[in-house]
Amino acid sequence: MNLEIAVGNGVRAVSVTRKGALLHVSVDGRTTVVDARRVGEMELSLLVAPDDGSAPVRGVDASLAAQRTSGDFDVHVAGRTIPVQVRLAGSFGRQKTAGAAQGTGPQRITAPMPGKIVRVLVKPGDEVKARQGLVVVEAMKMENELRAARDGRVRDVAVTEGPSVDAGALLLVVE
Amino acid sequence: MKKILIANRGEIAVRVIRACRDMGIATVAIYSECDRAALHVRLADEAWPVGPSAPRESYLRIDAIIDAAKKSGADAVHPGYGFLAENEDFAAACRDAGLVFIGPSPEAITLMGSKTAARQAAIKAGVPVVPGTEEPLSEQTSDADVLKVAEGIGYPLMLKAVAGGGGKGMRMVSSPAELPASLRAARSEAQSAFGDGAVYLERRILAPRHIEVQLLGDHYGTVLPFVERECSIQRRHQKVIEESPSLSVSPELRRRMTAAAAAVAKTVGYTNAGTIEFLLDSDGSFYFLEMNTRLQVEHPITEMVTGVDLVQWQIRIARGEPLTLDPESLLTPKAHAIECRIYAEDPETGFMPSPGRIQGLRVPHGPGVRDDSGAYEGGEVPIFYDPMISKLITWGETRDHAIARMRRALAEYQVRGIRTTIPFFQWILEDEDFKAARFDTTFIDRKWGAPGSSPLQSRDPAHEELAVIAAAIHMFTRSIATTVAAGEPVSIWKQAGRAEARR
Repeated sequence: MNLEIAVGNGVRAVSVTRKGALLHVSVDGRTTVVDARRVGEMELSLLVAPDDGSAPVRGVDASLAAQRTSGDFDVHVAGRTIPVQVRLAGSFGRQKTAGAAQGTGPQRITAPMPGKIVRVLVKPGDEVKARQGLVVVEAMKMENELRAARDGRVRDVAVTEGPSVDAGALLLVVE
Repeated sequence: MKKILIANRGEIAVRVIRACRDMGIATVAIYSECDRAALHVRLADEAWPVGPSAPRESYLRIDAIIDAAKKSGADAVHPGYGFLAENEDFAAACRDAGLVFIGPSPEAITLMGSKTAARQAAIKAGVPVVPGTEEPLSEQTSDADVLKVAEGIGYPLMLKAVAGGGGKGMRMVSSPAELPASLRAARSEAQSAFGDGAVYLERRILAPRHIEVQLLGDHYGTVLPFVERECSIQRRHQKVIEESPSLSVSPELRRRMTAAAAAVAKTVGYTNAGTIEFLLDSDGSFYFLEMNTRLQVEHPITEMVTGVDLVQWQIRIARGEPLTLDPESLLTPKAHAIECRIYAEDPETGFMPSPGRIQGLRVPHGPGVRDDSGAYEGGEVPIFYDPMISKLITWGETRDHAIARMRRALAEYQVRGIRTTIPFFQWILEDEDFKAARFDTTFIDRKWGAPGSSPLQSRDPAHEELAVIAAAIHMFTRSIATTVAAGEPVSIWKQAGRAEARR
């Protein structure tokens, strides 16, 4: 199976093949030998070979939490939580050059959680700087300011002050 | 006292239920619509609905809660912290309904609940206070008048809600130009959080430590102080890590601070559990800040270093028992305890709330670990309430030992499906200044998000590689398990979609 997995700032080319009782996982051409046991629907016990040829002995307890987008997971491993995006080989190449990851194109500011729009700090046509506050959403008793990821101009403001919005609702667009 | 209603939710309701069960007392939970399946409801002997999910319509409804208490036949009410815990009307309503309120008298709540009246009580007890306004500035006070008062105190200063607590309605103001906007924000926050927009001003002590003293007072005039808690590690004026004892408090200073705390409580005839908060200046002088007339979130660290069950003593005091604890042992910490407040917030996106379903939960165990939690696997973290889902407490023979255990416990702790502040604590606990106990209340503001630093992004590549391997194996083994009998592999994405829909 050939996959592309985005982690941190990069995309890794990954393939998995079964050899007897073991799995060979190649990440960007480097192969790791793994003895994998599924211990729960989303939990794996892995024994990983430190180097080529030796027996898989390094214990790694890993578990995953599915995110909203199919193929996106938070991987809990070695006491850390690491977000990854798993796609079939070839799909990322197209997506990544499409813009979002390159830091160009319009920024669609969406509600990260359900909440109430407390304040809209900008109006269409406003020039905004990176990290400038755009809209304030109240959830869990705290006011949270959503900010621009980079410089731009406000194109659309889709919300007004007062109403509640669902997670993922489009709030405004900065181009 | 045979049956206690717990007028709260989440981890603190669970904590109180456990104390009741230890004492053979029956428990009554209350719940809002979205909390029907919450842990406190599952653990209590009885549970009564009190209204829709919004706090104002359920956990803040005095009439509905008193009604539930009467219907259930409870003879006492424990308010926990937050919600109605420091609401004198609620304490009075309990008394009027013939219910024992497990906390101080309504009069003491009123007096110490007003930050300005509390300051006057401290002055009367001979305890120094931070210079500031003695009278509240109501919502009608004009900007010009507030600016005039501010001029007399000097900048930088702190703007605080008179009815405040938990960092809400609080702003630091470093110049007159900032004052009007901060005033508006503080008043609006105070109004929505406490229903009272009045504020007051205090001089800002630069780089202080936040030290607090737990007290218990019985109905026979005895007030006993406990060894201090160090609560300087704060974010947005909210405590995130607490420990006991404080490395910056010598036994001699402990004597003076705990005696001052007890003196303030005695001045107002205080009963039950309460906490006096102080600012400790770098020169060793300390100032009364405020009194919290309730059980504190961070009470477990005091329990860990003194061996006293504070909730049990709240109940014993409320039913008329005298304090029989040894005062000396309460001031003599047994080793060291530390607490991390685990929030459903994502530290990588500016601590954005992260409510939702907990897909998986692994709670740390083992020597010296305590988890006070309201979470369970499959449970929901609703959007309506405070995002704290649990408190992780560790105990060690030394501070280093307690920190090592905390790091171990945090690494074991998995809350899957939502983001939490666990990575934020891992970052703090690796900080050299934290490890050396070199910090003050500005620690996180200075270190977190300092220019050029994004501590969580710079991950160990070895961890990233393991995450990639685990994700790949997860997809691989799942796609094999779901390959159809005819030998035609079904799209793993379609399968993944179905599996997620089932969950």
